[in-house]
Amino acid sequence: MEKVCRDWPKEAFGEGLVDAGYWQSFEENAKAAAAEIYRVKNFAEAEKQLANLLKEFAPKEILAVGGEENPALKGIYERIAQPGIEVFTDKFDIAEHKASADIGISTAEFCIAETGSLVVDNYSYEARVTSMLPFVNIVFVNAKYVVENVSVACKIIGQVFTKGYCGFVTGPSRTADIERVLSLGVHGPNRLLIIAVDDFERGR
Amino acid sequence: MTMAERDLKSEIKEKLSDDIMQGALSKFAEQYPGSRLKSYAGQDIEALREDLRCMKAEAVDEIEKLADDFEANVKARGGQVFRAATGDDVKKFLIQICKENGVKRVVKSKSMASEEIHLNECFTENDIRVKETDLGEWMIAIKGQRPSHMVMPAIHLNRYQCAEMFTQELHEEVPGEDIPYMIQKARQTLREEFLQADMGITGANFGIAENGAIGLVTNEGNARLVTTLPRIHVVLIGYEKLIPKTEDAAKILRLLPRNGTCQRMTSYMTMVDGPTKIIYKDENGKYVEGDRKQYVILLDNGRLEAAKDPVFKQVYQCVRCASCLNVCPIWTLVGGHVYGHIYSGGIGAILTGLLNGIENFHKFSDLCIGCRKCTTVCPGKIPIPDIIDELRSRYVKAHGTPSMDSSFFNMLNDRSTFHNLLLKAAFIGQAPFKTGKYIRHLPLFLAGMTKGRSLPAIASVQFRDRMDRLSRNNPSKPKKRVAYFSGCNMDFVFADTSENVVKVLQNLGMEVVYPMAQSCCGKPILGIGDREAGRKVAQKNIMAFEAVKPDVILSACPTCTETLKETYLKLFEDDAEWTRRAMDFCDKVQEFTQFVAAEYKAAGKLMPTAGGVKVTYHDSCHMKRGLGVFEEPRALINATPGLELVEMHNCDKCCGMAGSFGMKYAEVSLPMLEEKVKNIKNTGAQIAAVACPACMMQIGGGLDSQEPGVKVKHIADLLAEKL
Repeated sequence: MEKVCRDWPKEAFGEGLVDAGYWQSFEENAKAAAAEIYRVKNFAEAEKQLANLLKEFAPKEILAVGGEENPALKGIYERIAQPGIEVFTDKFDIAEHKASADIGISTAEFCIAETGSLVVDNYSYEARVTSMLPFVNIVFVNAKYVVENVSVACKIIGQVFTKGYCGFVTGPSRTADIERVLSLGVHGPNRLLIIAVDDFERGR
Repeated sequence: MTMAERDLKSEIKEKLSDDIMQGALSKFAEQYPGSRLKSYAGQDIEALREDLRCMKAEAVDEIEKLADDFEANVKARGGQVFRAATGDDVKKFLIQICKENGVKRVVKSKSMASEEIHLNECFTENDIRVKETDLGEWMIAIKGQRPSHMVMPAIHLNRYQCAEMFTQELHEEVPGEDIPYMIQKARQTLREEFLQADMGITGANFGIAENGAIGLVTNEGNARLVTTLPRIHVVLIGYEKLIPKTEDAAKILRLLPRNGTCQRMTSYMTMVDGPTKIIYKDENGKYVEGDRKQYVILLDNGRLEAAKDPVFKQVYQCVRCASCLNVCPIWTLVGGHVYGHIYSGGIGAILTGLLNGIENFHKFSDLCIGCRKCTTVCPGKIPIPDIIDELRSRYVKAHGTPSMDSSFFNMLNDRSTFHNLLLKAAFIGQAPFKTGKYIRHLPLFLAGMTKGRSLPAIASVQFRDRMDRLSRNNPSKPKKRVAYFSGCNMDFVFADTSENVVKVLQNLGMEVVYPMAQSCCGKPILGIGDREAGRKVAQKNIMAFEAVKPDVILSACPTCTETLKETYLKLFEDDAEWTRRAMDFCDKVQEFTQFVAAEYKAAGKLMPTAGGVKVTYHDSCHMKRGLGVFEEPRALINATPGLELVEMHNCDKCCGMAGSFGMKYAEVSLPMLEEKVKNIKNTGAQIAAVACPACMMQIGGGLDSQEPGVKVKHIADLLAEKL
């Protein structure tokens, strides 16, 4: 999958900017933005959590990206495919099923405590349609990669952003254009579920 | 319709009687300030604002270089850049791209710049289907309406009116009760538009010079789809959006969502740097991957000229959050449509003047009353009312002063004649209508002015004629020599209050002198932009006060004080001799409560006393946000035996007088006054205290007409009564 940066921790993070200590503040602010958060120890727990979520949504088609960079995720994507649940990980398959898929599973690079945002590297077309077109977006992120605020996040992005597509995702798609009443899921997902994995590095 | 053909007053009247819009706007105006502050919890707002201001102020100073770098970096990544001088250039270029690429369908994600140049017209003329994808913009476009707010384009509508638009577009009955159903209908309909579009057009919240990236801030996610699904991406970006580096984007992003929608961050913040890949079906129906085409249009349309102007370049500090509208007492009453062009409110008047011509600015520049509330929230710290003053002054330079305003002012400038005239008119005119201190009904054409408020009666003896008698009470060994500047109101109308000012000062051991050659402070004529006349008035006043050699020049009117202390200094920039004289003069000017509170404090008299008659205090705009004085009047009330200060809701919201505005736009002024009277009444206070004669006139008149049990008093009256 094409990315703005192949290795964010090594090339972008810098000294002392990313700190697991900001987790609690991130979690509060992400929840305030209507994101749902599941923190797990490792990918085995993550897989159980994902399976539970899938039961709730009973999807027929799932788009999933990020498996190429992460063998643990690749394994999970292979195993969640079952009779009646198709999982598409190839970019052309994703393009083919982009309008009909029920769930998109994607990854984020790090979290921002101040705003509850995920920083996403969405250079690839498939990462963008996966995270935007289905009603549900499930995102895997390293629970230890949290920065204090938006200034730090932009500083980190500035280290590596020389071409492509990246940004923040903060909760699901929303609008208040009718009578200023909050409504979710207007163009993008109406649910944003974050699975934050403590031992994310082992998956890589 | 051109501005000259429009009847602003009747449009305002229509908006004021639109109950749906009135309900929505007043609810919003009530909720916004608190929600905004909540989103800043734990942040140093002032430091963030200063960071943004500095970054943008530096950017405009090197705008040509930023534009060159930005262009080079977009090109280096494979995008094409077109610099457009005008809206017509943009349209020609876009139609050419559409023809070259066989574009039949276009989706747009909100771009104010495209509204500014009426971009959509060129597509419909060329049979190209174009759809707005922001829900609010899409809805109102169905009925050909314009956005009434930069961030909430459909705030003037309720759900039933929205449902009518759905029904018209989808050819099916859409019930207004069910907002989620409408949202899902919009999703389905617009999803097809995204998937089938050949071209996506976006604006940009910022453009980064160091890498050619653009940033888009949305909640719905439409900008992400517009920049992902179609095979061509066009960016329409104004020069004012350019910033040097990626990390500078944070300086915008930490304020824009908080001020715009009271969120710490919007759902999506997307940065696109150069063309990205797209996967599409080729002619054999097989999916292939290719490069998207990216065109970036840098729009000038008056921006580059503004960048060179020392005053106007400050508009580059605008990030289009619209918070200035959200707190504007006029905007929140009349809504965005009456401002005529796409940008509304105070900043809209300025942008319209710079981008659509000063003639378009002039007509609705009246709708800025200079209350400065916007300057307390603007993320880029733009002094909006000052830029409006500058535009007015340039307009007057080019077109002359409106004749009515200037003849009225000439009368004000000749005090004795004016007072005689007023008295004559008053004896003939006001006698049958006067009850006590107020005029309650005015005949015929003036009736609008007294609807809902009484006007104060003209004092039978103007203040200046009382000074002989008053000066006999000057102390023999005065502490200081105080020269009193009354201003028009305190001379002709509230002469009794002026007497009380003198009594309070004399009680403090001050000698009070009144230079008879003083005239109006000049604010009325400066306010409409006639600086030449303003300079003459300033010189007259400076000379009058130099002659009496005072230690202090004191005024009990904050608008006069601000004009004397701050504006005079700026009037003589090209004249060293008068700059020096103005500086000596301005240095001595003090506002009444500030001076008295300091003297009380020095004398150990500024101690809170216990309980008594309830008094609520109204902050005048010029007093609080012009002079920054709000503690002293409160301390003086608290220090007065027998009085107890109780705060009212929105104590610093404009009462609606605002110089001549309250008379010229009585229909807008009165709802503001009614709100103020309601807030005063809710405190249960018996006295509404003010420190400004214009507020005193407005609030006094409102109370007299609507709530006669509550009396308005100047702080000087309260203090003098207890001497």
